[in-house]
Amino acid sequence: MHFLPDIGLATLGIQLLVGLSRAMILFIVSAGMSLILGVLRIPNVAHGSLYMIGAFLAFSVASFFGGSTGFWLALILAPLAVALISLIAERGIFCHLYEREHLMLLLFTFSLMLVFGDLVKLTWGGAFRSVTVPSIFSGSLPVFGLPVPRYNLFLLVIGPIIAIGLWLLMSKTRIGKISRAAAVDREMVGAVGINVSWVFAIAFVIGCYLAGLGGALVAPTVNIALGMDHTIIIEAFLIVIIGGLGNMWGALCGALIFGVTQSFGVLLWPQFAIVFPYAAVIIVLLLRPSGLLKSVW
Amino acid sequence: MKDKAMLKSIVLVVVMLVTVLALIPSCAAPPPLGRPIKVGIVDTYSGGPTSYTNDVRDAFKLAIDEANKKGILGTTIEFTTRDDKFKPDLALSGAKELVMSEKVDILMGTINSASALAVSDYAKTEKIPFIDTFAKDETITGKLGHRYVFSVTENTAMAGKAIGAYLAKQPYVKYWIAGDDYAYGHAIADASWRNLTSLKPAVQLLGQSWWKVGEPDLTPYITAMLAAKPDAAIIATGAADCVPFLKAAKATGFNEKVPFFMHTATEQGTIAPLGLDAPEGVWGTSNYHFYYPDTAENKAFVKAFQDAYNRFPGAGALYGYIAANFIAKAVEKAGTMDTEKFIDALEGLKVDSPVGEVEMRAYDHQAILPIFMGVTKKVPEYNFLIATNIVTIPGKDLMPTIDEIKAARGVK
Repeated sequence: MHFLPDIGLATLGIQLLVGLSRAMILFIVSAGMSLILGVLRIPNVAHGSLYMIGAFLAFSVASFFGGSTGFWLALILAPLAVALISLIAERGIFCHLYEREHLMLLLFTFSLMLVFGDLVKLTWGGAFRSVTVPSIFSGSLPVFGLPVPRYNLFLLVIGPIIAIGLWLLMSKTRIGKISRAAAVDREMVGAVGINVSWVFAIAFVIGCYLAGLGGALVAPTVNIALGMDHTIIIEAFLIVIIGGLGNMWGALCGALIFGVTQSFGVLLWPQFAIVFPYAAVIIVLLLRPSGLLKSVW
Repeated sequence: MKDKAMLKSIVLVVVMLVTVLALIPSCAAPPPLGRPIKVGIVDTYSGGPTSYTNDVRDAFKLAIDEANKKGILGTTIEFTTRDDKFKPDLALSGAKELVMSEKVDILMGTINSASALAVSDYAKTEKIPFIDTFAKDETITGKLGHRYVFSVTENTAMAGKAIGAYLAKQPYVKYWIAGDDYAYGHAIADASWRNLTSLKPAVQLLGQSWWKVGEPDLTPYITAMLAAKPDAAIIATGAADCVPFLKAAKATGFNEKVPFFMHTATEQGTIAPLGLDAPEGVWGTSNYHFYYPDTAENKAFVKAFQDAYNRFPGAGALYGYIAANFIAKAVEKAGTMDTEKFIDALEGLKVDSPVGEVEMRAYDHQAILPIFMGVTKKVPEYNFLIATNIVTIPGKDLMPTIDEIKAARGVK
């Protein structure tokens, strides 16, 4: 065990900020998964692969256009492309499985995950890809006297913006209200005369858009490599479960817990940092087995 | 009656003599092998490590194509590869498949030290020669070395000596060690620290951080290190995380605040993927830089590699090239592909290489390779960083002594 000799408040402060910024990415991806889980009642195992595709597409767009404009274009185009891919998957095969057994949909998403994984390997190859942080965000800013990377601060700003945007979408717009209604009682929604199939499609596409957005946002900070999908899907699942199934604010809480414990873990016990977020998950589930916030189901 | 019997025996003796005489000429020269020499390479061909392993395979192919033109004992060398995805269990199953179904004569591979140890153990049981082409854990030819394993890459004991000697000359006292949490990471960190403290006992270890292999986001680890304010850091990353660490170091500005040393930082496979985004001022060691030394042999090798593959060769190319040359020369010297004779021929064998003559030390089957140290810097000629102020340390100054190997293996 190697504890830092003097963990000052400043150190805790910047680890908290870094943890929160990572939590923002986790929140974006988990919110998408939560939405799909809530409305369609299926855990989308391919969510991680769409996140990975978002990151790789961001790399391709950014390197094609180059420079800072490349990055911003990537941020806009990559998630849209992922949303398009998910729409094709949904309308093409998914929607025909809605009447079938629930398990079928789960297995289908699992097979999509495997297919996407290999497609990414075929398209982009096995080597590392790297997206450069746009020049306004490079380097770090001193906070409490210690450096925090500027891009992480950017994530801290954009995360809440997306959270608020999602909340407005879900509660103020017509489609948002219909989706929430379909999550609670799909038969009533159908009885009222709304085409439930299209509601599902829209919810699925928005959820996958969020996965792609998470991938594009995370691209400059991590190595874009095969295997990203496996790591994120486990984390997203756990966050959705501890947050409350289908609950967006629950996803936010779960993501905050996960990101911050991971960051503090690195500080307190670097060799076993990986244990902290999972230990937190276990504690939450022991205390509140149905999740922190109310689940939609 | 007696005459007929005598005639019969005379004819019999004559026939036997003629048969023996007819057979003698074919015993004079070694018979052609009659079948190709099969090599099986188990290595990581997905993810980050490919920037190193592709060099090994491509240079190997280049070298055996050259050798095959003349032929080795009238036959050619063929090879096939298996992807172990940087996982030891897949490496072992790949090696087993190569031996049992492909029936390879020689195994080669792999970049993951844990995988190399697993395959080495299998090679010992199956009595198939295994040539380690990139894994740098010193136990491969040290403590866990045996008759059937060879290494054409330097190992952590050698690198640790070089790093310890270099850092002992620097003014830094407070160090932080961070790296990948697996065999190689700990081995290089231990070797460097061991050598440094023996030369400069005043150094202090402030702390250590270890992350899982392939950890995607190193930012929280870097910020924690920055908070501890060490004078310098030793970064013990392996194939999967060298590139991500350098990227994160540049993004967080770590390289400007804390000088750090990373083994293989200046290698082409590590520094080229980041292009001009790579951090400057990083100290690194490598077995090979294509731009150094400026000899005719090196230039010819680089040109041949570039013409064939449209990129510059990294250290992996050196390993693949000398592996091929060792195999070809050993088979010719032995006159056969019999495993035991091949191994005997390979021990103590010397081959030419772009960094000069390389000898395969007979006792522990470790190739005696020089190490080059340098500092990363941007230069106008290339759109990647190169190592400057290169210092060459000859292989024989770095090799663990035979007594040290004996002590590690527990033999007298």
